[in-house]
Amino acid sequence: MDIKAYIESGIIESYVLGLATPQEADELQRLSQTYPEIAAAVAGGEQWLRETADHYALPAPEELKTQLLARLEHEFQPEKQAPDLRYYRRDLFKYAAAVLLLLLTVSGLLNVYLYNNYRNASRDFVRLQSGIDMMAADNKAFQAKLAVLEQDLRFITAPGTIKVPLAGVSGREDYFATLYWNTQTKNVYLTANHLPAPAPGKQYQLWAIVDGKPVSAGLLNPNCTDLCMVTPVQQAQAFAITLEKTGGNPTPTSDQMVVLGKVKA
Amino acid sequence: MKELSTYTEQELITALKLRREEAFNYLYDHYSAALNGVIRNIIPEVHTATDLLQEVFIKIWRQIDNYDPSRGRLYTWMFTIARTAAIDHVRSKSWQNSLRNSELTEGSQQLADHNILPSDELGLRKIVHTLKDEHKAVLELSYFQGYTQEEIARLINIPVNTVKTRIRAAILQLKKKIKR
Repeated sequence: MDIKAYIESGIIESYVLGLATPQEADELQRLSQTYPEIAAAVAGGEQWLRETADHYALPAPEELKTQLLARLEHEFQPEKQAPDLRYYRRDLFKYAAAVLLLLLTVSGLLNVYLYNNYRNASRDFVRLQSGIDMMAADNKAFQAKLAVLEQDLRFITAPGTIKVPLAGVSGREDYFATLYWNTQTKNVYLTANHLPAPAPGKQYQLWAIVDGKPVSAGLLNPNCTDLCMVTPVQQAQAFAITLEKTGGNPTPTSDQMVVLGKVKA
Repeated sequence: MKELSTYTEQELITALKLRREEAFNYLYDHYSAALNGVIRNIIPEVHTATDLLQEVFIKIWRQIDNYDPSRGRLYTWMFTIARTAAIDHVRSKSWQNSLRNSELTEGSQQLADHNILPSDELGLRKIVHTLKDEHKAVLELSYFQGYTQEEIARLINIPVNTVKTRIRAAILQLKKKIKR
């Protein structure tokens, strides 16, 4: 291939001016890799283009540079980028810290609020619990009382139970007691409707009058306030209560009789 | 602008790729007049040419990463961008219609007198118009109006190979005239 003729054909200048066809350009690039003379000629052609451009240079209007710098203002990168990133990170940290602090505050307030709620609920619960306990205890007491009353009622209404009102003797007219005696089971119950509390060292004693003779029917328990069971009595025509020394006497002190009642046949 | 002389072409490319403002300043100060000359040789009208030059610099700035130094000098790349922008403009507007309707097909002789040719042609174009007609025609059509060799062959009714040799010959003539 005649390299010199090729170089001097004008193809180099045609190429750098952009007038060569794509085929011509491809061929030139391929050849310039094989032939250093052609590569040098292309470099010379580029230099010629540059010099020609300077030869026909025309200053651009003054304001164009200002316009361009304004348009590209945001595309220029400063010498150092690291500080920007650091400031950005620090800002991010600040922001994150503020958010965390806010969350922490909210959480703290919520804790106080929830703790107060919990304490109130707990107090209410304890109050309710003790109320329920008290009601249960009352219930138990009522049940016990009811059971006693039921038992008393059963005894009073049982077949063979007779009622013996014991009225105050002369001088003690306001004294009064009621005795219930089951003539079948022989059990005796007594309720002191109105008997003054005995003086210290004294105790009421019940007597069954059998064929005109008093037989001890037991002592009245001072703690018993309702229907009180006393000693069973086999037979009696009347009942009487005397005020005796604590523990009772084998025979009644006759002037100490407070109430008396006859058994109605 | 005291530091400007310190840039080699390679340093300038590196600084442009790092998007340094001072590199853009240097680029503009060193190449704007040359590129402006290229554009105005094709489009003499100042405002249009200046608008195009602005777009050319924007394009150079934004596409600097596409520039491959192994394929040529920086100026050659920028020159191609500038000339392509100007040619695209010439071929996109009503210019093209008037060209298509013109009597160019009748022969290269009438080309010099054709009304679409700028009367105030500048620099390089003025030199081209001093060449003999067959050279003037192919350079006018190819360089200033962007016609391909095939298009020129059809327009002036000669074989493509003749267009090719004529363009090369015309450039050699032009080169001699510029040297003078």
